[in-house]
Amino acid sequence: MKNLLKPSLFWLLLLTVAILTACTNSDSNTNNDADNPAPSDSEDTGTEEGKVTIDFWHAMSGTGQESLDAIVAGFNESQDKYEVKAEFQGSYEESLTKLRSVGGTKDAPAITQVFEVGTKYMIDSGYIEPMQSFIDKDSYDLSQLEENILNYYKVDGDLYSMPFNSSTPVMIYNKDAFEEAGLDPEKAPETFSEVIDAAAKLKTDEMYGFSMLTYGWFFEQLVATQGGLYVNEDNGRSGDATEALFNGPEGLNVFNFLDTMNKAGTFGNFGTNWDDIRAAFSTGKVAMYMDSSAGVAGAIQNAPFEVGVAYIPHADEVQRNGVVIGGASLWMSKGIAENEQEAAWEFMKYLTTPEVQAKWHLDTGYFAINPKAYDEENVKEKWSEFPQYKVTVDQLQDTVPGLATQGALISVFPESRQQIVTALEDLYQGKDPQEALDQAAEGTNRAMEIANKTK
Amino acid sequence: MNRQTKHGFWKKSVNGRTALLYLFPSILLFSVFVFYPMFRTIYLSFFLTDQAGNAALHVGLENYGYLLESSAFRNSMKATGLFVLYTVPIGIILSLFFALLANEKLKGIGFFRTLYSSTMGISVAASSVIWLFMFHPSIGMFNRVLSVLNLPQIQWLLDPEWALLSVSISTIWMNTGFSFLILLGGLQNIDEHLYESSRIDGAGYFYRLRRITLPMLSPTLFFIITISLINAFQSFGQIDILTKGGPSQSTNLIVYSIYREAFINYQFGTASAQAVILFIIILIVTILQFKLGERKVHYQ
Repeated sequence: MKNLLKPSLFWLLLLTVAILTACTNSDSNTNNDADNPAPSDSEDTGTEEGKVTIDFWHAMSGTGQESLDAIVAGFNESQDKYEVKAEFQGSYEESLTKLRSVGGTKDAPAITQVFEVGTKYMIDSGYIEPMQSFIDKDSYDLSQLEENILNYYKVDGDLYSMPFNSSTPVMIYNKDAFEEAGLDPEKAPETFSEVIDAAAKLKTDEMYGFSMLTYGWFFEQLVATQGGLYVNEDNGRSGDATEALFNGPEGLNVFNFLDTMNKAGTFGNFGTNWDDIRAAFSTGKVAMYMDSSAGVAGAIQNAPFEVGVAYIPHADEVQRNGVVIGGASLWMSKGIAENEQEAAWEFMKYLTTPEVQAKWHLDTGYFAINPKAYDEENVKEKWSEFPQYKVTVDQLQDTVPGLATQGALISVFPESRQQIVTALEDLYQGKDPQEALDQAAEGTNRAMEIANKTK
Repeated sequence: MNRQTKHGFWKKSVNGRTALLYLFPSILLFSVFVFYPMFRTIYLSFFLTDQAGNAALHVGLENYGYLLESSAFRNSMKATGLFVLYTVPIGIILSLFFALLANEKLKGIGFFRTLYSSTMGISVAASSVIWLFMFHPSIGMFNRVLSVLNLPQIQWLLDPEWALLSVSISTIWMNTGFSFLILLGGLQNIDEHLYESSRIDGAGYFYRLRRITLPMLSPTLFFIITISLINAFQSFGQIDILTKGGPSQSTNLIVYSIYREAFINYQFGTASAQAVILFIIILIVTILQFKLGERKVHYQ
């Protein structure tokens, strides 16, 4: 027994030591990196065949990933100095969490895709190299890119990240159902009261009139199109926002709009999952719903009926202001080698060319950030076949530039969106609209207060 | 004299020192992977953290005060309590029932034993996705069956009244396999002679079940109740996939709310405070269980 025990104890000890050294090793490594963020062209630069290899973290799955992989392969073939490796890192939230653990070190990917509401966080984080420094160095002509998209990502006149996949909300509707209900399928309702009327006419035993994904983004858009601000300090663009404004009259309009239909039984609640609401539309359970412009292609493909695409509705008493850009942009890391940054810049320039943007737009339904892409032959062809695509671009280009449609800039956006989701769910359960909104505003205020305190 | 007592102490403690030497590897591992994170959590719960998750502002007990006052946290506690109440008793009774059935010596019983324990082989994520499809509001199986039977449709995961129940149903299904296997093992360990002699005395099935099976199974039952309780308190995967804590926070169990606070809102301070409170609750429940429940356990 003793003889048996001794060797096993020895191995156990050895294992323990091995595990512990493994842990401490990686720990001290990251510590060192954090201490000297100075660029060092050591093993990470990867100079295989004299090429500079960089990592590109993205959050695109499905058709987006396929298209992106093809674009990256195209870049790698187009020149022989740089090699980009695209790596899928999970959802936007997941990849941002991963970035937090390597941000600012030389292990960070040269390019990371971060969603639009992470903009303020990324700027404050200190992990990133502002895009503007390369734009200035290279005298890159920014005016060739879509102005309404740049407006969102520009902070104090400087561009911090390169816009990439951009989308806006649209209202998608079932033309066949419109005809059956005696409505004009070519003329979608434009204002809140028109939507409420149409929804009542469209409602049957099988089909709800209107639906909206329970997601904060759509609420933000419906507030912005009325010219309403989300937070104070000019939507967080002239200073750190301290108070939520979305529980003002514009926000209340939106909640009343949804509440009216919900109480009338013409509003269908399909939850927080994009696929669920899209399935509900294509199986004829709802006649009108709000979707991202990136969902237009899928809606047309999956529906066995004629699909119409329209601008998002606005309150009756105000002019339409338009939409705020959603989606994600690409950020360049600080603390990596200089030639890696150059590789990242070259890749971003390649991404913004009209040909690449045309491919991206057609594959995914995201906007082309370079409007010249819309003049490409293949885009024109597709547009004449599916005029619905054009509606999304028109809506963006009709947008009135202003603080509201520029979009709010706060670092606690994910948390605030969660508050809105809860408020919407409470509203659908019969809570008073103003009360539900005030509660969400209170939660957002507290989150902003903590964020400002610990900055 | 002095030297002698010192020497005496050194000699007396030789057993203790040997024990320590043997325990050293596990103490080391535990301190790195359990104790350090635990104390770090307690430490962080007294702070507000900055965007990178570092302790930034000492706030004392403010995080705890905020939680105890917040209606969202009280709601999380309530939801967790209900969830435990829905899943643990039904889950254990169900798996006990299956275990008793599968313990009979019949031809081909191995097939049923495999079937009943099969849910153990499916990961929480995979089974949650299957349930997600079954609960689907427009194309899900349950609502199709309801519509065939001409019953009103149920918004399984979207109606706050139903969501917690729906998540509980899928959780019971997921956990049955494991409880079944453990209970079946316990049943197989019961001495056959006890049944034989009781049969000679003319005892019926239910009498034997009450007087022999359950008392002899009580250590296993006690184990499985403890484990199920702790598991139920710590459920996360199915919530994340099925409901994400919604609708109207009705399925926002404590562990999910910790996750959201820490990894979506990046408030490690309040998240840590919640974790500490959860730890205290589980500790109290387990102590109570050992104090009250163990009396009824019969060790042979």
